[in-house]
Amino acid sequence: MSRFEYHQPESLQDAVALAARFGAEASFLAGGTDLLVQIERGRIAPRHVVGLHRVPGLAGIEVNGRITLGARVTHRSIERTPALAGALRCLVEGAEVIGGHQVRNVATVGGNLVNGSPAADLVPCLLALDGAVTLLGPAGERELPVERFLLGPNRTARRADELLTRVSLPALPPRAATAFLKAGRRRAMEISVACVAARLTLDASLERCLEARIALGAVAPTAVRAHEAERALEGQPVGPETFERAAAAARAACRPIDDVRASAAFRQHLVGVLVRRALARCVERARLAA
Amino acid sequence: MAKIAITLEINGESHEALVEADRTLLDVLRSELGLTGTKTNCLDAECGVCTVLIDGLAVNSCLYLAVAAQGRAITTIEGLAPAGSGLAPAGEGRTPAGTMHPLQQAFIDHGAVQCGYCIPGMILSAKAYLDEHPQPSEAQIREALAGNLCRCTGYQKIVDAVLAASDRMAAGTVAS
Repeated sequence: MSRFEYHQPESLQDAVALAARFGAEASFLAGGTDLLVQIERGRIAPRHVVGLHRVPGLAGIEVNGRITLGARVTHRSIERTPALAGALRCLVEGAEVIGGHQVRNVATVGGNLVNGSPAADLVPCLLALDGAVTLLGPAGERELPVERFLLGPNRTARRADELLTRVSLPALPPRAATAFLKAGRRRAMEISVACVAARLTLDASLERCLEARIALGAVAPTAVRAHEAERALEGQPVGPETFERAAAAARAACRPIDDVRASAAFRQHLVGVLVRRALARCVERARLAA
Repeated sequence: MAKIAITLEINGESHEALVEADRTLLDVLRSELGLTGTKTNCLDAECGVCTVLIDGLAVNSCLYLAVAAQGRAITTIEGLAPAGSGLAPAGEGRTPAGTMHPLQQAFIDHGAVQCGYCIPGMILSAKAYLDEHPQPSEAQIREALAGNLCRCTGYQKIVDAVLAASDRMAAGTVAS
């Protein structure tokens, strides 16, 4: 006998109505690369699985000043969207290092967020881009900054009767650039030991930082912004001394754990190195584009 | 939770099955339809032996519900050789051998097959990649195959075979 009943709603309204009806007994299915593993391992046992494949309007990428990524946008489509290859490149860099092609072809942005893994590679990118998620429930939509959406390992602010429909990112100002760097034990098919997404906006002289975002993955219970590191950068001349101060602040923002992949101390060390390199890359990119 | 009647389009043919909602495409291919060319192993998207193409994209069939695969074009290793090549499933036309897919021929020519268990997945991942990137570098091929493990560790010959196949396919000497 099947462990769950499968539903294939054909509209957002029907999808949300199913979630409202079954509450915590229902799970939404997008790419399935996390959900089906969790079911198989017995970590979760939903009685109802609500497939989103037939729900229209969830798989689009819009770049029109503001950027919108539908919940069912795959890592593959992020990798292949030319409009994301410029200042938004951290998204592409975060997408292209997740799993193998087989996973990236189906795994989605929405799944990466909702799963709530502290090591999800796209999430620091969305934090660095000031992303906000839209949650649709029986009472309508609400928007929540990604930073407030993430509550802990495998825990988010999504209620059982809510569907994450999209992530929105504000337009980037001129002379802004982004970068994502990941350290793993090998170069492919690896869960991050630590990862960093950075965004810098330079002033007209291209020598000073106007605005900065630093987000860290796999070094705290959720992906986190390193606010102190951002403050160490804003208004300062870009260069090794400033970057070292930002790296030190980012190391201090970590609360890493020891596990099979790395020690906490090594993770903290890596964060400093990755922050420095990501910032240097942002400066290079912003100057090249200017 | 009764079984569900599904229709899957596999290698250009319609197949019907009566399955539980939680059955994976991998399980249905092997256990219901007898298409055992697709292999089963980690069930965790780590090893890639279960790779099939869905609408032309490589996918781990171990993490894909059969009910969700309806209405999509599924390609398994059994469907890769042109019909009638002698590599088609039993019961179908068995005519001239030697007309297999260039990737299959290249794997044979380069001795890229050791125990063989990873090979269907390797070949399908390579096909999906070559369809999009006809003339890849060796580094690109290695990246394209990152989701397919060979525990005989025979990677070099596999990469050589894919490179050779891409040359032959690009030169148009063999129909792909």
